[in-house]
Amino acid sequence: MSDGWVRTITLTDTATPDPSYDQPTQPRFRRRGRITIWVSSAWLLFIVFSAVGASFLPYVNHSCDQFENENLCTTHVETNPLLAERPPSWALFSETTRPIVGDAPERFGLFGTDTNGYDLFSRTMFGARNSLLIGALSILFGILIGGILGLVAGYMGKRVDKVIDTIMNIFLAFPALLLAIFIVGFFDSSTTTEAKSRSIAPIVIALVILSIPPIARLVRANTIVFAQREFVLAARGLGAKNGRIIVREILPNVMPAMVTFAITGMAILVVAEGALAYLGLSVTAPTPTWGAMIFGGQTKLETAWWISIMPSIILFVTVLAINLLGDALSEKFRIREAIG
Amino acid sequence: MSTLQTAVRRETGTLLEIEDLATHFATPGGVVRAVDGVTFSLDHGQRLGIVGESGCGKTILSRSIMGLLPRRNVIRKGSVLFEGTELTTMSLKDRQKIWGAEMAMIFQDPMTSLNPVMKIGKQLAEPLRIHLGSTRENAQEIVLKLLQDVGIPEPEKRLEQYAHELSGGMRQRIMIAMALACGPSVLFADEPTTALDVTVQAQILDLIEDQCREREMALVLVTHDLGVVAGHTDQIIVMYAGKIVEIAPTATLFSKMKMPYTEALFQSIPKLADPSHTRLTTIGGRPPNLVAPPDGCSFSPRCPYATDTCTKVEPELQQAEPGHLFACHYPVGSDRWNEVQVSLGRRSGGH
Repeated sequence: MSDGWVRTITLTDTATPDPSYDQPTQPRFRRRGRITIWVSSAWLLFIVFSAVGASFLPYVNHSCDQFENENLCTTHVETNPLLAERPPSWALFSETTRPIVGDAPERFGLFGTDTNGYDLFSRTMFGARNSLLIGALSILFGILIGGILGLVAGYMGKRVDKVIDTIMNIFLAFPALLLAIFIVGFFDSSTTTEAKSRSIAPIVIALVILSIPPIARLVRANTIVFAQREFVLAARGLGAKNGRIIVREILPNVMPAMVTFAITGMAILVVAEGALAYLGLSVTAPTPTWGAMIFGGQTKLETAWWISIMPSIILFVTVLAINLLGDALSEKFRIREAIG
Repeated sequence: MSTLQTAVRRETGTLLEIEDLATHFATPGGVVRAVDGVTFSLDHGQRLGIVGESGCGKTILSRSIMGLLPRRNVIRKGSVLFEGTELTTMSLKDRQKIWGAEMAMIFQDPMTSLNPVMKIGKQLAEPLRIHLGSTRENAQEIVLKLLQDVGIPEPEKRLEQYAHELSGGMRQRIMIAMALACGPSVLFADEPTTALDVTVQAQILDLIEDQCREREMALVLVTHDLGVVAGHTDQIIVMYAGKIVEIAPTATLFSKMKMPYTEALFQSIPKLADPSHTRLTTIGGRPPNLVAPPDGCSFSPRCPYATDTCTKVEPELQQAEPGHLFACHYPVGSDRWNEVQVSLGRRSGGH
């Protein structure tokens, strides 16, 4: 009997729910935030898809220099001044062209052509491949090395921390670009046999070294905060060794900060690669990167602005998308602390 | 009879022997004498309470015994014998084998002593994986049993939850379960109920007591709340300024306290019999600065019975009766005590 009575009470209670209680009003920025995430993700997906699948998509690979047999190259047009530096047509694949070599049609769509008569849009998409690869590889190694250094410094403290922190401070005291130039130059001269063809390795190394100090400091600061928390003491009190505490207790807590920083950091490194390329210190000629393309077009800025500007716009939008997504993710990743 | 005794894992006898234990911190402001020459022993299955104000060195004492304090800028003295083994000189590696397996600790704030990003089930299995080398699957069963033991409803569901999804009392139960996982022989409970509300406090204390009895585990209950130790301990240590000022079996301490500090603590407990709006009795002043403790008895600046002797000569621990020690020149019941009581109007001249 009494059981049924209790149930009736609860039923009547839920029959008239307080709407403000059941559905807390969503703050307005929530919705806008979601749109930002979708647009950024869509753009990045497109860029990554283009970069990964550039060879299979209807883009034209203009890096003819890498083919030993010139016939394999569809568009070696350096000698044809008619095709060079055509302004953007603003149409995706307008067939306004005639065959250049063999029967392969050339598309001079969207972004026009560069000094060599290469289709800028295709070239920008191939450039995404290298730019993103450099950015991703650099931040990956940066997070790995910087993360380990930061965790060890923050957790061990004492002399270990002092040594690591001092080294990081020394690196941070250098002007970043100057340091990068040194590093690229250093790794360049050590492999002088093929000075003309610089691979992405020295650039990645330079960018990794640039990214380690800020990551290490961020991770160190976070580690210090978490290392003093009681759950770390509790784990110690249960007999956990230092390695286990770092990997299982602290790392998962530091991870969100690391990931969000990595995303923003990648954006910074993509731009940094552009800056290096602008100084002529990036991957050499036939392989396009966004930075190299912007650099390549700068002398023609007055007559053919699009050669520099179009890849710049793509770089800008991509970096913006990465940053917005990073911000949105940092919001999502916030650790739910046990409060109250 | 004899089979019964062998079935019981731990017999009576001394489990922990602490002698002249001192922990001093070297700080820029001077040496802080957080724990200053503490001697006592703990038997198997015994429940000991350590009481005192904030900053009396209770927490540092319990952590010093376990050896959990950082070693930097710490001056340690004295010895801690655990089942005859000296802990203070033991290597970190050996101590790690004891932590969790033989000695476990639970903390004041269950909000912060659980890892916010680790699932409860995984966290509970940690000690088992560390000490018994259990795999995730093996541990699961023990973890479920532990959760049932500490009275958590729907244990299967909890395994997949995070700390923030549980209430404070529930989190403290999880902490207790973690501490119990490897069957330690002594549990240090550092203010285990301070962050919880009163009804949950009682439940948690009962749980700790039940588990101690069931597992024949000794308990060191650190608290500032005399009410907490009253019902849940066999013996009580009263600490002041890093030293033991009174030690007695629980019943004796409450009925025949000797140390004025204990008396003052006892008087600070609000009583139900008092009329409404009675001013709470407090102990005037603050605990002494542990960098430069006063000469003589460290409680003398706040003690209503203090004389010149108190500010000059430090009282030694003396015996009132077997098992009851106190450090005071003018203990409760002495002539001086009576005199002051009369002058305060608390008591008439000839009793």
